[in-house]
Amino acid sequence: MSFFGFDPTRPNPVGAGFSQARDPFAGLSGHGDDGDALDFEDTYDGLGDQLDETDDAFNDDTFGNTGGSAAAAAPVGKDFDFFGQTAKVANAIEEEHVRFNRQAPVARAVQPAAQPTSSAAHIHAPPAATSSYNYAPQPSYKPARTGYEKYSQEPVGELQVDAALWGVAPKKHAPVPPPQTHSPATVPAGRKIMSLEEVEAQMRAQARRPAEPAAPSPVSQQQVQQPQVHYDQGYQFQQPTQPQAPAHANDQQYHPGHGQPVTILQRPQSKHAAQAPSHPAHIPAQHNAHQRPQPSAPVQPTHILQNPSRLSGDAARLGAHSDPTPPAGYPTHPNHRQQGSLSRQQQQQQQQQQLVTHPSQLSQLSEEEKAAYMDQEAKRAKRNHKIFLMSRDNGIMTPQDKNFVTRIQLQQLVAATGNPNDHGTDESLVEDFYYQVHNQIQGGHRQHPSQPLNNFAQTYLFQTGSRHGGLRRHHRGPENHMQRMEQQVQRAVEAAKNKPKNKQLVIEGSLGKISFSNAKTPKPLLNIKRNDTAGETARPSSAHKNIHTTSGRDKKSELRSIEQVYSTLMKMEDHDRMMPPPPTGEADTHAIEKVVEWNTTAQALNKKLWTALRVHDHPQPGGIHPFIALLSYTKGKKAMERIFRHATVEQRTIILTLIVVNLDELDVVRGAQVATGDIQLNAAMRENVELFSVAVMSTLFNFMNELDLDLVAGVLGLVCSRNIDVIAKSRIGASMLTMILSRAEIIKHSSGRTSQSWQSWDAAYTQLFNLLEPSLPYIFPGTVSSGDDMYVWQLLAAIGIGASPDQQQRLVLAVKDRVMDTVNLAKTLPHDLSAQRLQNVNLFMRSIGLDVELLQ
Amino acid sequence: MLFFSFFKTLIDQEVTVELKNDIQIRGILKSVDQYLNIKLEDISVVEELKYPHLSAVKNVFIRGSVVRYVHLPAGAVDIPLLEDATRREAANQAGKAK
Repeated sequence: MSFFGFDPTRPNPVGAGFSQARDPFAGLSGHGDDGDALDFEDTYDGLGDQLDETDDAFNDDTFGNTGGSAAAAAPVGKDFDFFGQTAKVANAIEEEHVRFNRQAPVARAVQPAAQPTSSAAHIHAPPAATSSYNYAPQPSYKPARTGYEKYSQEPVGELQVDAALWGVAPKKHAPVPPPQTHSPATVPAGRKIMSLEEVEAQMRAQARRPAEPAAPSPVSQQQVQQPQVHYDQGYQFQQPTQPQAPAHANDQQYHPGHGQPVTILQRPQSKHAAQAPSHPAHIPAQHNAHQRPQPSAPVQPTHILQNPSRLSGDAARLGAHSDPTPPAGYPTHPNHRQQGSLSRQQQQQQQQQQLVTHPSQLSQLSEEEKAAYMDQEAKRAKRNHKIFLMSRDNGIMTPQDKNFVTRIQLQQLVAATGNPNDHGTDESLVEDFYYQVHNQIQGGHRQHPSQPLNNFAQTYLFQTGSRHGGLRRHHRGPENHMQRMEQQVQRAVEAAKNKPKNKQLVIEGSLGKISFSNAKTPKPLLNIKRNDTAGETARPSSAHKNIHTTSGRDKKSELRSIEQVYSTLMKMEDHDRMMPPPPTGEADTHAIEKVVEWNTTAQALNKKLWTALRVHDHPQPGGIHPFIALLSYTKGKKAMERIFRHATVEQRTIILTLIVVNLDELDVVRGAQVATGDIQLNAAMRENVELFSVAVMSTLFNFMNELDLDLVAGVLGLVCSRNIDVIAKSRIGASMLTMILSRAEIIKHSSGRTSQSWQSWDAAYTQLFNLLEPSLPYIFPGTVSSGDDMYVWQLLAAIGIGASPDQQQRLVLAVKDRVMDTVNLAKTLPHDLSAQRLQNVNLFMRSIGLDVELLQ
Repeated sequence: MLFFSFFKTLIDQEVTVELKNDIQIRGILKSVDQYLNIKLEDISVVEELKYPHLSAVKNVFIRGSVVRYVHLPAGAVDIPLLEDATRREAANQAGKAK
């Protein structure tokens, strides 16, 4: 290949010797000595003359019996196995590095003598390209101790003389007359000349090789000092290629002798090529390039092709080189064996240790590395084989099949884990209702604590007491309820104690009733009696007719009704969750439509619920009211609170009325009559009573606290129409009475009296008292010592507050025995128990203006 | 899915699993899946003398099909909610059957 019109076949007379290893045998390729370059004799150090060129007798001893083309397989000594040795002492490499730096000046000093030889050495490359290297067997020229002995251990291919010698050298070295001292026979042998293909391959390998460290020139120059060591010189040729990376990656270290060709080769990727001419050492190098022999021609394209895949010289130097796809069929890697200088070799080895881009480099690795590499190779091969095996089944499934399988898998996955995206949505609630709501109630896993609980959670969370199973359900709920009731009674008692006398005196002292008016309840000018209660009272009369038999009840339909109630409730709760936001304005017709639609559905559901409750059903002759029958079931009782939440105020009132009207027909009233001395109800009934107290009474209690006096009086009137004796003798009945009476007292103290409603209240109260009085001694459960009578004292207190002095007296007379018994018993009890008993009694005593202290 | 849904709420609660071979294992419920396979940790066998080979076992994975009973911690069961969940499940099943 010719650059700038120079004859590439001619050795470069100027550039020779600069850092390039000389090839003393180059001239044998057929190129004559031009004579216009350096005179070989001028620069030749004469060392070669000391050789006995004719004495080949011991070549076999020295080099082993290898020869000719078979030389490729010839094992050589390992004396020069610097790499192999240094690899074993990797730790020492750094030291060697330093040592190299120190040796470098020394090497440079030797350079002048070496140069002529090197220039002479460069003529041989063209022959390589023309495959004219049919050299004699190597043994003929091998030195006694070349240092290559160690390489005999390496794979055969690795033992070949590096083809790069010829591949690169021609480009860079001036034609120097071949050293005359070398016999023709030794020259070819020393070369181990390769075929053109090999040369090319080696060029490629070089191109891929990691760049050499900087400052190669001293090294290369140093290499030439011993011309008689042909092998040495031979492999020095490879050096010119080494600096190529620095040459383009680092201008400062551009190598004068041989950098140029490399630069040219790498121009496609390197901008340094343009800068190269400015380098002081550049001119001779360029010169060399011009005279580059033809073999470089095939090389160049290769370089160009490979450049893109190369890392920069710097990166490569750092060991970052990792070319994944080295071209197949590389010949041996040229570099390492041919180092003339030990330190340089080490450097190179150091690099190559890190880079295994090609099997050929294997030989340069230590045993362990080799093993590791082979291991990796094996793995990769195994994987490839596996892939190959599997690829036989490619295409068996159509994309549709795959989609189908994927769908099934996803379905299972979603079913198993629940889609995190649809937590709280209807789908997940349908499938995973318990878990979702439970989690929301427990709050443990709430993802957005700031968000309010959804309706479901609220539904179950606010079922007071009922969601705590087991013991807690039986204790906490009623306790809570009873406490509140007690508090209410106590408040009424306190209020009655504080004010009453004054008021009464005023009232009694005056000739007429003095009604106070205040802002809250102004004195009514018109007092129209409301008929609310009248309508309610009409219904009980129909219920009255029922004889209390359970025989006529249709259990199945009742249970079905309850289930209907529940399913409707659940639908309503579902529906509540979908309540549309209120319309923003008149214009928002869509929103208004939605609201209207929602309301329609809600009303329909409400109606359905109401129907399912069978409130308006007529009881069968001889049976109890269907609604009361529903309440006899546990789940019927439990539904009450939820029903109240979804019922209108009117509906709630009706339910309350209905319950009160049928109070003496409730199973928890009729079946739980107290009998002195035998208070032990059966367990089922006790549980029923508890449940009713928790589920129904507390609901009614809450509702009743919103009622005004008229309704309370009406309710009381209803109670009076029933069998008071039965009612009062049951815990539920007594609690109901307490509830009603205490509510009235609260209203009384908070709002003062309004004549009309109080008249009706007083009438109802008086009626109740009259009815109740005979039963009073018998409403206590069990004996005095059983101590389960707190609710009775509450009732008595509630009665006592509203009682007139006369009634109070009668009240005291009626329960005097019980009071005295309890007080006496309290004296024998431990302090805390007795205090509790006395407190119960005192609740009643204070309501009538007395105190147990007076009795002790 | 009701049972799966239910057992998920019992995770980290102590349960006693009675197997069809009469072994009763008490432990902390760690995981349950749609087959009601159960993973228990910190287990102890109720009749340890009878099944000494399990005394060294600290956690178990029980295939759902070999479970006869699971004894639940009553306090961890929300009965009204469970009742409603059951109703919903029944409604779902009825809906699917149609």
